[in-house]
Amino acid sequence: MKAPDAPDYRQGARLGLASKSLQKNLKTLQNRFGRGAFKEWSAPADPGQRERVKQRRMDILEHLDAVLALLADRVEENGGRVFFAKTAEEAVKYCVEVARQGDVKTIVKGKSMVSAEIGVDAALHREGIEVLETDLGEYIVQLREEAPSHIVAPSVHLNRRQVGRLFTEKLGIPYSEDPPTLTMAARKALRTKMLTADMGISGCNIACAETGRIGLVSNEGNIRMSTTMPRIHVALMGIERVEATLAGQLETLQLLIKAATQQKLSGYVSFTGGPRQSGDIDGPEEFHLVLIDNGRSKILADPEFREVLACLRCGACLNVCPVYGRIGGHAYNATYSGPVGAVLTPLLYGVNRHADLCKGESLCGACLDVCPVNNDLPRMLLALRYKLAYGDERWQTRPHKPFEAFTFKLWRLAVSNALIYRLLCKGLSILQQPFIKENGMITRGIGPAGEWTRDRDLPPLARRPFSKRWRQRKEGKSAQRRDEVKHG
Amino acid sequence: MAERSAFLKDIRTALDASSAGERSASQFPAVFSQPDVSGTIAEINSRSAEDQQALLARFQESGTEIRLQVHCAADSAAAAAIIADIARDAEPEFGTDKQIIQHAGRECAALNLAELLAGEEMTVHSVVPGDPDARDKTEASFIGITVADWGIAESATVVQITEPGKARSTSLVPSIHIALLPIERLLADLSELQALLQNQPPASSYVLISGPSKTGDIESHIVYGAHGPKDMHVVVITGRKSV
Repeated sequence: MKAPDAPDYRQGARLGLASKSLQKNLKTLQNRFGRGAFKEWSAPADPGQRERVKQRRMDILEHLDAVLALLADRVEENGGRVFFAKTAEEAVKYCVEVARQGDVKTIVKGKSMVSAEIGVDAALHREGIEVLETDLGEYIVQLREEAPSHIVAPSVHLNRRQVGRLFTEKLGIPYSEDPPTLTMAARKALRTKMLTADMGISGCNIACAETGRIGLVSNEGNIRMSTTMPRIHVALMGIERVEATLAGQLETLQLLIKAATQQKLSGYVSFTGGPRQSGDIDGPEEFHLVLIDNGRSKILADPEFREVLACLRCGACLNVCPVYGRIGGHAYNATYSGPVGAVLTPLLYGVNRHADLCKGESLCGACLDVCPVNNDLPRMLLALRYKLAYGDERWQTRPHKPFEAFTFKLWRLAVSNALIYRLLCKGLSILQQPFIKENGMITRGIGPAGEWTRDRDLPPLARRPFSKRWRQRKEGKSAQRRDEVKHG
Repeated sequence: MAERSAFLKDIRTALDASSAGERSASQFPAVFSQPDVSGTIAEINSRSAEDQQALLARFQESGTEIRLQVHCAADSAAAAAIIADIARDAEPEFGTDKQIIQHAGRECAALNLAELLAGEEMTVHSVVPGDPDARDKTEASFIGITVADWGIAESATVVQITEPGKARSTSLVPSIHIALLPIERLLADLSELQALLQNQPPASSYVLISGPSKTGDIESHIVYGAHGPKDMHVVVITGRKSV
């Protein structure tokens, strides 16, 4: 999934729209967690919490170098090793090296977005190492050789029958479409793997610099398994996923959980940051923390986009987005989907390459309203569009569609000159006549207008333009007033 | 070290703070300042028996939302009787024989489980620090008994700090997890836990557990027992006979 192929957003969107199970499951998901998050925010137990956490996240980002330095010191004091990976390649190389030196045959993974971002699995496979996802949803999409389609619910695009057929084929169990039966089959298949794997790879929800402990959240217990039973634990974290103090770490984790699933706490919130201590009978013998920049310091440097690094990866914006809710995560063709993905993916992988994402979102503002840290995603989506329209040096965008820009320049000329505007309208209202169908709409346009009318009708220009009606109305009124004055 | 300095320098450059040289936490006391928790600590310490009963009621109520089974026992003997019943009723999920693993320490020792279950074809293991067989015993057990360092009433959470003898896997690998919780260790909410943890050096590992393992990854259908325990019980030791 690293540097995804030139994505075809439209094709992906069409596939998503055509999938009945995706439509049904996304509706369920959004009705439950999207509405749930809004409900949570409508009567918060601690009304100042979201703003407070946001302020603190921005404050941490402002001092990120000092916070990370302390985190690294504390992890090392605790006997762990810290690796600073500037790029995805460096991070992957380090993981492979750790696996090689540890003579690792099998790796179990506890759900980690950043592991997908850097594409570590493929490199480990090439070493002949078995790499297994352990989160049930991630396990299902891994068996299907697909990418996750939601940050928190990776297999949301699949229905129980698809999972049933998959498990029959891959796990050799009798066909079932009963979620408990299917879950127990995965439990059994993965238990042996988790108990015998040599290495566990996890992400990091939020680390704490002062204690040198990373915080990990799960409901299934797979993350605890993957970080407790194997003899090596490698934790991958984006540099922004850190708090300075324990108080900050706990509050942010709590807010993340509220936004993601509206639980008071997830089933397991675990804290770890080093190898097992003398006398302990479990826990890893080696602990590695990989701090990953991979384009984040570039985002940090841009005041327009720095805010996106405050993101908690709760997935709430996916759960309310009308666009994500129809097209699903695969259309985004990247690790991070939905509104946050539409901002983050271009910034991490190239704005030109992922030009469609920021244009596909509706700017309705639901993502801003639901975001636990009030990230203004609509503002950032517009900023990306601006960079695509006019070019930008920092993000290396060239004007994206010169013809469109030219058209808009003409349009500006037309609307700022009454005569040209009126002539244009008159001309168009004559030209449009052959295209108006019985329903009074234009159903098939030509040229660029064809793009519009492919999926919806275009209302024709009014027979009597507004400017004319307005003038007549005003004239009528003043005539009336004159009459009143005369007769009054 | 070279990688580290170059890496941190890039971040400083991004923040327009590159001229300053390496920056350390001590330069920014405001960012790293700890909240004053003395009031919270005083409140925790001043709790009456009635307050604790109220917290217990809240713990039980929160527990029902997450399918956590909360039991009350006057003392260790009563707790042991409850646990023995659970062990008798449940069937092992993996394997056929009934083995139990419990944390070391006085709370578990006081249960005298081995004695209570003698002659019932059950084996009771304890986590012995440094025991090379402890892992096998844990994997072979269908019940894990742990001692909670604290309980959080608001979310029905038990908090476990890892120490030798208080292993991480005891609450994770067996199919049934039973946590012992002395009533005086009940806290109201997460901020009280934070206040207590802030005043001690961080443990190598600690975990907040709220209910049995669960997943909703297949069509949002909630199933208990994804990878961790299918059932979780908390036995609150109240120190007095229930009415």
